[in-house]
Amino acid sequence: MTELLVKNACVIDPLRGINAETMDIAILDGKIVEEVSDAAEVIDARGMLTLPGGVDSHTHICGTKVNFGRYMSPEDMRAGRTPRQGPLHATSGYSVPTTYGNSYRYSVMGYTTLLEGAMAPLEARHTHEEFVYTPLQDTMANTLFDGNWGIMEAIRDGDTKRVAAIIAWTLRAVKGFGVKLTNPGGTEAWQWGKNVSCIRDPVPYFEVTPAEIIRSIVEANELLGLPHSVHLHCNNLGTPGNYSCTLGSLGLIPDLNEKRQTLYATHVQFHAYGGSDWKDFCSKSEPIARFVDMRPQIVMDMGQVMFGRTTTMTADGPMEFNLYRLHHEKWSNHDVELETGSGIIPVIYRRKNLVNSIMWAIGLELALLTKSPWQCLLTTDNPNGAPFVKYPEIIGLLMSKKYRDAEFATIHPDTEARVPLPAIERELDWYEIAVMTRAGQAKALGIQDLGKGHLGPGADADVAIYPIRMDEVDPSAEYQKVIDAFSRTEYTIKRGRVVARRGECLVDGSNATFWVSPKVSEAYDMGKDPDFIEKFDRYYTVRMRNYPVQEEYLNRNRCIETEARI
Amino acid sequence: MKVTLALKPAARSFIPIEAESIVPKNFLDGTDLPVWRGNRELRLDEVFSVSVEGDADRTEDVEVVLSGETFRLKRVGEYMDGGRVTILGDIGMHCGNFMSGGTIEVRGNADGWLGREMAGGTIVCRGDAADYCAAGYRGGRKGMTGGTVEVFGRAGDFLAENIAGGTVIVHGDAGDMPGAEMRGGTLVVHGDCRRPGANMKGGSCYVYGTAQGMLPTFRKIGTVQHEGHTLIRFAGDIANRGKGNLFVKAYEYLD
Ligand SMILES: [Zn+2]
Repeated sequence: MTELLVKNACVIDPLRGINAETMDIAILDGKIVEEVSDAAEVIDARGMLTLPGGVDSHTHICGTKVNFGRYMSPEDMRAGRTPRQGPLHATSGYSVPTTYGNSYRYSVMGYTTLLEGAMAPLEARHTHEEFVYTPLQDTMANTLFDGNWGIMEAIRDGDTKRVAAIIAWTLRAVKGFGVKLTNPGGTEAWQWGKNVSCIRDPVPYFEVTPAEIIRSIVEANELLGLPHSVHLHCNNLGTPGNYSCTLGSLGLIPDLNEKRQTLYATHVQFHAYGGSDWKDFCSKSEPIARFVDMRPQIVMDMGQVMFGRTTTMTADGPMEFNLYRLHHEKWSNHDVELETGSGIIPVIYRRKNLVNSIMWAIGLELALLTKSPWQCLLTTDNPNGAPFVKYPEIIGLLMSKKYRDAEFATIHPDTEARVPLPAIERELDWYEIAVMTRAGQAKALGIQDLGKGHLGPGADADVAIYPIRMDEVDPSAEYQKVIDAFSRTEYTIKRGRVVARRGECLVDGSNATFWVSPKVSEAYDMGKDPDFIEKFDRYYTVRMRNYPVQEEYLNRNRCIETEARI
Repeated sequence: MKVTLALKPAARSFIPIEAESIVPKNFLDGTDLPVWRGNRELRLDEVFSVSVEGDADRTEDVEVVLSGETFRLKRVGEYMDGGRVTILGDIGMHCGNFMSGGTIEVRGNADGWLGREMAGGTIVCRGDAADYCAAGYRGGRKGMTGGTVEVFGRAGDFLAENIAGGTVIVHGDAGDMPGAEMRGGTLVVHGDCRRPGANMKGGSCYVYGTAQGMLPTFRKIGTVQHEGHTLIRFAGDIANRGKGNLFVKAYEYLD
């Protein structure tokens, strides 16, 4: 029995409506409880800002794509080198660090739960193996279904229940958590050397459109009762004028779930572009934010771009090819059989570049213009917009108009005419930041009932105590203090244990992986479906019995069983 | 000031010694410097017999002379910005990494990565230099950006790979792929080499001997006179719209 008592914590816990109340947090054996005995170890938080552990609902940290980013950029490993020390492993890398590098740096910032944004089902083992070596955060993986042959055939046949059945079988097989659509249909079209320009273009051979894929999979997701909604990376990423395609995609979504959104639109910054080419490229954050304001069924994340060097990686293969043609730097392209694909290129976002400056502004605008912080979460689509270590700076920018203006003065001078940012006065408060970095993320992922994103009794004892007092700091003026505080916690507590203190990780850790196993009826068990089995054996390079990821691959195994309506 | 470092025969080992501390500037403050063998930190005088003659206030007035079996001594002169290092025998890998000033003279042969990513100063190698002499490093976009490397013997493969500035001269033959990914600067090979200038974007590469396995993605322009040689001038690498100049005395395409 391990007891811990955090005293005098100034708590913001949005999922329980708590805003800056000074209270004690009692922890017993890794869970939050009402009270502990006098024997409990005590941490005095001395009025410091105390939040539930951070949750990142969209990041790329583990799996084949990330790892390919590592080995195509050995120069990235020159940065971020730390030696082995006590229980800690050596780390290296900046935009695509080693798994331990990711885990330690996230922990120092108070993050305790991470969702890998895109796992190719066929390559799931790699993701799970890296999860084990990301020891200070619980992990879960969005699973890619954007170009799944069986699903596209079922959609063509109008059989949504079969779509759901294939998703159920696959999620269970690969120990996946949520359903991810990356440029739906586009990556399959890319295998034919093509792309889809927006939601009405048919995918070659399958003759289904992205709109049909999105609608059908959203319905299937709800039939399966999955904790998270469909997680969509819209078509047409990164092209001038793509905001209308984004609005069209969001407009497809009915409100089907009362507990959470029905669609999670990721890295919307990359999808909020106006103009007809790079010459008249401009921000369309306003129509997107207004559209989302009116639709509780949509949650998005920022996909903020920050200036500097990073690596872009996505299942959106054709988009990366377009980027390659712009930059002529190194590029990788990868096909995942019957499922999806990917592309990777390193990039540098520059202040002196007009397009990059506009991108930087758009991400901030989305967060500032969207009324509810629950509907626009803080991400960089790590590492696509920037490595996650930039989160504290983004928090500073969102909380301080003064900081935004100071930064604005350093970017391309023509930006002002193309973006609404300079006119936006809003400064987010501590509560809104807490929503955008943990509570909103946990709610959107549907994991608050599993004890994530809040500090209520029964919750996992994941706590971040930041060395800052809300009553002593004016974030609007003293943004540097805010950045410093969010860069390194005073304490990061994971499952009831102090894992990081003042910028230093203390323990080796041991994480849990959340995955979903929907319970479907016999008739919809694809493991027994003759047609599914036959196609599998015919087209995959692996045998069906070798495809599922054994539970031995998971560290602590947290299976979420859902009752499917099929 | 002259600092003489004679490698102790007893300090010889299969595991290389990492000696990035051997840079003239560091000796202005004495000889109490660390070196590493594997994961063990050693004092300079555990590895070398150290002797100092005279004294100096400025880096330019410091000369370091290395003797003994120094072929497993790595990173000597890394980040060196002035003064002189003379190696009487052979030197290990990564000698003169990131060097920005001063002179390194290697009387024997140099192992790989001599003058990697160097920005200024002079390196003279009297013997042969192994692979990646005056080159960039894994994944990096820019190699050498300034200074001079002169090799009197032969050079290995990937000579001056990714060079963006400065001058590299090899008096003997060079191996495969000299000047690969070249984007600036000057590379001169007095002897023969294979496949020079692959994917070059800019800069000038001269081969006074024969370019074997000549790449087909260079456009022949004509002949020019250069330092007493009649050379055939090519432009390329046109595979990626490169704007480099390649001059060769003779060439052979692959069959
Ligand atoms: Zn992503």
